[in-house]
Amino acid sequence: MLNHAEASEKFITNQERTDWHDDTLWFVRSKRDKASKLLPEWEALREQASQIKEHMLSNLPQYLLEFEAKAQANGIQVHWAKDAHEHNEIVYSIIQKHGDKALVKSKSMLTEECHLNAYLEQKGIDVVDTDLGERIVQFRKEVPSHIVLPAIHLKKEDVGETFHQHLGTPKGNKDPQFLTEAARIHLREKFLGAKVAITGVNFAVAETGEFVVCTNEGNADMGAHLSDVHIACMGIEKIIPKRQDLGVFLRLLARSATGQLITTYSSHFAKPRAGQEMHIVLVDNGRSRQLARDEFRNSLKCIRCAACFNTCPVYRRSGGHSYHQPVAGPIGSILAPNFDKKANVDLPFASTLCGSCSNVCPVKINIHEQLWFWRQDLMKEGLAPAGKVLGMKLMAWMMSNPSVFRLAGGIGRKVMSWFPFLVNNGMNPWFKQREMPAPPKQSFQEWYKSNRS
Amino acid sequence: MSSREEIIRALQEVKVPDKAYPGAFTAQVVGVDTLTDFLHSMVVVSTTVIQVKEAADASQALDKHFPNMQRVRLNPLADGLSLADIDVLEIDGDFAVAENGAIWLDDSNLPHRVAPFICQHLVIYVSQKNLLPTLQEAYIRLGDKQTGFGVFLSGPSKTADIEQSLVIGAHGARSLVVVLTEC
Ligand code: SF4
Repeated sequence: MLNHAEASEKFITNQERTDWHDDTLWFVRSKRDKASKLLPEWEALREQASQIKEHMLSNLPQYLLEFEAKAQANGIQVHWAKDAHEHNEIVYSIIQKHGDKALVKSKSMLTEECHLNAYLEQKGIDVVDTDLGERIVQFRKEVPSHIVLPAIHLKKEDVGETFHQHLGTPKGNKDPQFLTEAARIHLREKFLGAKVAITGVNFAVAETGEFVVCTNEGNADMGAHLSDVHIACMGIEKIIPKRQDLGVFLRLLARSATGQLITTYSSHFAKPRAGQEMHIVLVDNGRSRQLARDEFRNSLKCIRCAACFNTCPVYRRSGGHSYHQPVAGPIGSILAPNFDKKANVDLPFASTLCGSCSNVCPVKINIHEQLWFWRQDLMKEGLAPAGKVLGMKLMAWMMSNPSVFRLAGGIGRKVMSWFPFLVNNGMNPWFKQREMPAPPKQSFQEWYKSNRS
Repeated sequence: MSSREEIIRALQEVKVPDKAYPGAFTAQVVGVDTLTDFLHSMVVVSTTVIQVKEAADASQALDKHFPNMQRVRLNPLADGLSLADIDVLEIDGDFAVAENGAIWLDDSNLPHRVAPFICQHLVIYVSQKNLLPTLQEAYIRLGDKQTGFGVFLSGPSKTADIEQSLVIGAHGARSLVVVLTEC
């Protein structure tokens, strides 16, 4: 597996595409700015959302039990899974009971996290992802590169070619309207035939036992309402205390995600339809471990809006796949080391720590600080990437010795002006994609001495 | 020990400093007025609005809007699949939200839960008296109403998954007309 830096290097080989990716996500970020500024109470809403989530995290077991009791009273079957494997087994056992070989699934980052598709396919079940972006990447045997915009790494030519291969659309047709219509027709057939539907969960309300699923396409509803069995999969941190809290979160979610006022559909599921079975799978998979880490507990407040992705200068220029995780971007880089420190040691370093993520986060997670905490943790455990360790040790030694610092600065400036190729070469990672600045003639200290004394 | 007990016990063992529930949030209402804001939101979410005194007054405008298409109103029915061939479905909405154009529909308005999604085009009747400024008032209005299924629906289905170009008509209704009545 490539690490983040290596994968990014591949991503940026096509300059035009990189720029398109960068600009497009920045455009989404600007739409978020506009939508948020329409609400004068935006900051108060963020604060409210943050406090509700922190309150929930300090009472999580009680709220889970309250949710379970209410949901059961509503006629929903509730299951608990310690980890990804148990989640997959539960889902499979429900499908097996109904003897079906195909199912429709709307977007659920949790099922990505658990690698449910691969598990079910191995058991001979045909999983059809019904979100357009997810269907595109599924056809291509890829994974989503963004949690809200799964196919944002692709151009319409790519989609046209994929649909030509899988849906028989005319070769060379890359019109988004035409391709969307082709997908609509193809997926309607799947919806009408499916007995089992899987959806994710955006919010689950302890007070009422209902859960809310948000989509623009209507795919979650088409699947859930036509199926005999609806399975909703959620991480345990998706609980909120009261129905009225939905007012806060639904005002923040779509505005933060895409700059929309609200998603087209915010569907509230409380009871199965007459004759239908409804299941909820509550999944821990490392969340209780993250809850116990004081510095990282707040990462569990995340509502998966992806605002932190869209604003991140590293994400925009490296693409979601470079994070080799189902949840990429700044928040993914905090969640990943909780699953496996060694395998994800590169991710907390895939950031400039500029703090833009924390500024846009609708639930006020201190994302950039947590990235920095992980760096310290990984350094302490001796897991940090080798180059970083040596560089940081040298830096620490130099910074703590003023005379060495002065000497090194002086040498550096001379070396850069006498032998510019020493820094302007491919060996220096900072030179890639950049021009190195001309070295200043004087250091600040030297300037201060001659001008102020 | 079951997974349920294991998870609950693991969570209980974590000592998280108690954080108080912040209480209800009161929205600041700022727009022009509820009607103007609602009409503006309808434009943003690509929805046609027909303003009439009474519901019956809309039929001519609807005939013009959906030429040669059959419009139907349905009683509750058990089979959602049979709705796939419906061109234009007409239903009543409970109340609507000015700030985002969302209209509340639930089991009590719907002939079948899949109805507003599976029909090709959708017409929703809402009374001007039932416009609320923000989603926050909407949840106050909803209170603890028990319903098996309910949805805030804002506009026709859409997607921008191909190169971020907006396409109206993904899996749900291809278009939405809101008939806004005075009474
Ligand atoms: S961390 Fe915040 S900004 Fe990022 S996806 Fe989660 S809620 Fe959105």
